Amino acid sequence: MTETKAKGSDGAPILEVVDTTHRFGEVVALDNVSVTARRGEFLTLLGESGSGKTTLLRIVAGLERPTLVGRISIDGDDVTHTPANKRNCTTVFQHYALFPHMSVGQNIEYGLRLRGESKGARRKSAERALDMVRLTGLYDRRVHQLSGGQRQRVALARAIVTEPAILLLDEPLGALDEKLRVDMQVELKDLHERLGITFIYVTHSQEEALTMSDRIILMQRGEIIQEGPPTDLFDRPVNQFVADFMGVENLLEGTLEAVSEGLARVRIGEHFLTGIWSGAEVSAEGSPVCLAVRAERVRLSNTGGDGQDDGINRLPCSSGVTIYKGKYVDRTLDTDIGQIKARIWDRDADLVDLASLWWRQDECAVTQMAAGGG
Amino acid sequence: MAHSDFTANKADRPFLVSRPPLLRRFSESWSSSASAGIGYLVLGIIYFPILWLMILSISGEPLTGFPGEWTLRWYENMFFGSGQREGEAYGGDFNILDPLLLSILLAVITSVACMLASLAVGSVLPRISLRGPFLMTFLMPLMVPGIVAGMSIFLFFRIGLHFKMGLWSLVLAHFIWAFPFALLAMMVVASRFDQRLLEAASDLGASKLERFWQVEIPILKPGIFAAGFFGFLLSFNELPFSIFMRAGEITLPLYLWIQSGAHNTSIPLIFALSTLITIASIFLTFIAIRVGFSEKK
Repeated sequence: MTETKAKGSDGAPILEVVDTTHRFGEVVALDNVSVTARRGEFLTLLGESGSGKTTLLRIVAGLERPTLVGRISIDGDDVTHTPANKRNCTTVFQHYALFPHMSVGQNIEYGLRLRGESKGARRKSAERALDMVRLTGLYDRRVHQLSGGQRQRVALARAIVTEPAILLLDEPLGALDEKLRVDMQVELKDLHERLGITFIYVTHSQEEALTMSDRIILMQRGEIIQEGPPTDLFDRPVNQFVADFMGVENLLEGTLEAVSEGLARVRIGEHFLTGIWSGAEVSAEGSPVCLAVRAERVRLSNTGGDGQDDGINRLPCSSGVTIYKGKYVDRTLDTDIGQIKARIWDRDADLVDLASLWWRQDECAVTQMAAGGG
Repeated sequence: MAHSDFTANKADRPFLVSRPPLLRRFSESWSSSASAGIGYLVLGIIYFPILWLMILSISGEPLTGFPGEWTLRWYENMFFGSGQREGEAYGGDFNILDPLLLSILLAVITSVACMLASLAVGSVLPRISLRGPFLMTFLMPLMVPGIVAGMSIFLFFRIGLHFKMGLWSLVLAHFIWAFPFALLAMMVVASRFDQRLLEAASDLGASKLERFWQVEIPILKPGIFAAGFFGFLLSFNELPFSIFMRAGEITLPLYLWIQSGAHNTSIPLIFALSTLITIASIFLTFIAIRVGFSEKK
């Protein structure tokens, strides 16, 4: 660990993946992707299945040999042609991959056993790792006696006990039920802070990505679409795909009228609406764009009206379907540019005799249409 | 008794509610006792002759077909050989020691060969794309009658290549015979082996050799053991191949076959010998199951 810290002082990235392409036969899983990670960062690779996120993780681990690669380095060491067992990183697999013929303790110690550590030292480290994942006292259990959540923790303990430079997590919470998943998110984040190891986390869940990450890389069809801190992806999607993936309920398609001082004016049907421009580069006037506004930003009013005043977008509307969700109410409202969803948290703000809806211009984003129309 | 009685007026005649019609009760009990009967009959056909043979092996006059006059004489004669004692109807020149040792030697060699070969094939087959056709090809010899396979191997080596038959050809024949069974036993375990465990081992720092010894072999162990067990048992009991490939060597089953076909006086010893072989086989199977398939606690 002391060596790691010494290396870290020059501020070099702990992971560098340069110009990596991977094909499975005709299918391009990764298309000339480059990624770097800072020391101690919690980096999330987010995307749908088939986006190439798991392939990228496996290439970092050394379990997949990329078709074309510029360079891969971990903690300053060039590992481009190093096999998986010689790389200073470990993986927590989605399917756990615990050895069924070993006890919990033997599973956790396996990496240390390969590194030639003595039995006593191994046991000590394993017990400490078990404490860390809150499985104290389960050293002698057989793997088949454990629940799904416990197996997941053993896999985690097995991966961190060797103190790797990078911990790779491949959808580790995918097989757990909702409640456990939420608990584990908090624990993983906590563990990351305590260990100070770089985490690279693969998931298809935008909610997991937002909760835990320092930085998110959103991938689609083997390419990186957007990367940045969670707030960037959440509030400033670079295109319609990102907005949709990050769960923006209202995506209104229109044409760009003008952009000035970061604000974009969009014509949608007979209406003009304004939002913060969040596309990568500013599109030409008249090009198709997308206005993205979250349902919780949309508010209701019983006074009519139209247009923009005081930094507000306002549309006349009439009431549609209401769905009761317990904590909040989802209302679908009919406007003459289509349906808009509003999420009402406060009962008192819900109106029966509504005439218009509105949202603040700086609480919505105007962005490019998705590449390739997807 | 009509079905409608079931629903009509339960309160008045409650006993009708719980009882199905007489005819159906009868046919159900008849069909279940019939199938039970057939089951017992089959068990009887399988086990009775074996039990009968065991009983006769400790009888004084086994060739009469009736037990009685209990004695261990045949066992004694079998091992300590004999010579015909005065006043005895049977006995004669009977020496099972050489055939027994040869058969055990053959069985051990075949067993080890089956373990190694089925481990090699079984650990690779699940990883390749053409595993189905390959497995079928490996298992095809199961469908060739032993006598045909034995003869064709004999003709190929003896007449075709002018090799001299001997111990090696017996080993080869027994391996050819036993390997498909051994592989089948191995595949039961190997096909369930999670290849991703090997990735996990590499990821934790294991070389190919380390993950083979520390992950693959321990998990495939029951399959390896089963393969060895089948190799041993099938070789030990093999007859048709041995007839062709023996070149003067005599295995235990061959010896039994020759003796039981001959009109001499040592036939009663066969009862004793068969009993011993049966008990030994059962014992071996029991041990194999205990050692190989028991879940470690």
